[in-house]
Amino acid sequence: MKKVLNPTTQPWLTLLARLILAGVLLAAGWIKAMKPSEAAASVRVYEVLPVNIANTFGYILPWIEIGIALLLIVGIWTRWSSIAAGALMVLFVIAIAQAWARKLPINCGCFGNGGITADGKVHAWTYATEIIRDIGLILLSIFITYFPNGKFALDSGTKNSENGGER
Amino acid sequence: MAASSKNGSNGKGDKTTRNLVVGMILLVVVAGAGAALASNHAVKSASKPSAVEATDGDGIGFNTSAPVKVDFYEDFQCPHCRDFEAVNNAYINKIITDGKIHAVFHPMSFIGNESVLTAAASACASDQGKFLQMHAALFANQAANENSGIWSNAKLIVLGHSLGIASTKYDECINNGQYLNWTKNVEDYAGKANINSTPTVLINGKPVPQNTYLNSAAFQAAFSSAGVK
Repeated sequence: MKKVLNPTTQPWLTLLARLILAGVLLAAGWIKAMKPSEAAASVRVYEVLPVNIANTFGYILPWIEIGIALLLIVGIWTRWSSIAAGALMVLFVIAIAQAWARKLPINCGCFGNGGITADGKVHAWTYATEIIRDIGLILLSIFITYFPNGKFALDSGTKNSENGGER
Repeated sequence: MAASSKNGSNGKGDKTTRNLVVGMILLVVVAGAGAALASNHAVKSASKPSAVEATDGDGIGFNTSAPVKVDFYEDFQCPHCRDFEAVNNAYINKIITDGKIHAVFHPMSFIGNESVLTAAASACASDQGKFLQMHAALFANQAANENSGIWSNAKLIVLGHSLGIASTKYDECINNGQYLNWTKNVEDYAGKANINSTPTVLINGKPVPQNTYLNSAAFQAAFSSAGVK
């Protein structure tokens, strides 16, 4: 894989991927962190977790997103934070897909504004685009996981996977 | 670690910067999550308006002995609640003043600061016997955008006075933020009761279907089939 990518452009691509992933996470985290009880309600409506656990998760999740985003921006523990971001996205895809499969009429609540949809209906197209967006972000996180060595990273010694680098 | 020696020059300084940044990020996450967990709980010592029913999640109650209990979960900044009130406020106020339902209002505050201020102000008005009027007035005067700055203590006091509240206790109640903590109790209870959208109306604990909220005939039919004539 290393040979496919130009070694001078790859670190810039990694930087770009980091910033896109981080930007989405930071926005999603910040908007929800400002309205904690709405964030808790958006977790409850997925009807996966028991109410009290859903509430706790709703309060904490935005700050986890913010933390991962900040690590990706500054480029510390890049590989692990991109794996964590990818894992979160996988969780979100599963959550949205099960809501869609069960025909729950809910908003994603990814960027705040969660809860039951305004018209109480299931919006298949919205569910689909949310899943597509999250899969795009998963691809970015996979790219970073393979090529964590990027520009403007505080962990400047990070090596790409083919070199057997740790971080 | 091999990393710092390989990236050359001042490996030590880089390391310190890096650790500082790691520390700051951890601090942001832990402080933020900790504050979110700590501040979104019921406050046992919160002072409560006199009409509060502790058994009903600190909601503001009317006609506690009426047989049909109706819970109203609304946020004064929620546009759907405003639309709902525009259709049904007159009917709801009538069956309350006629003593036909045991009403419990849960003014929620998940939309942010001005929701907290307006919910607390409605509790201050409740102590002056003007909850229903304040409740209607807050929806009638809802801003186009949430948290846009229209609800300050001063304006909430003016609104209360315009409804005929004369007591300085009302002004003090608002200026002292007497019921700000109480709004946390209401919000906490609503969360535990799994109230996930506003407005939510429960008749004897059972939700009135959402699709009746803007249809006054269907909404009133839900009440008459529960025995409210």
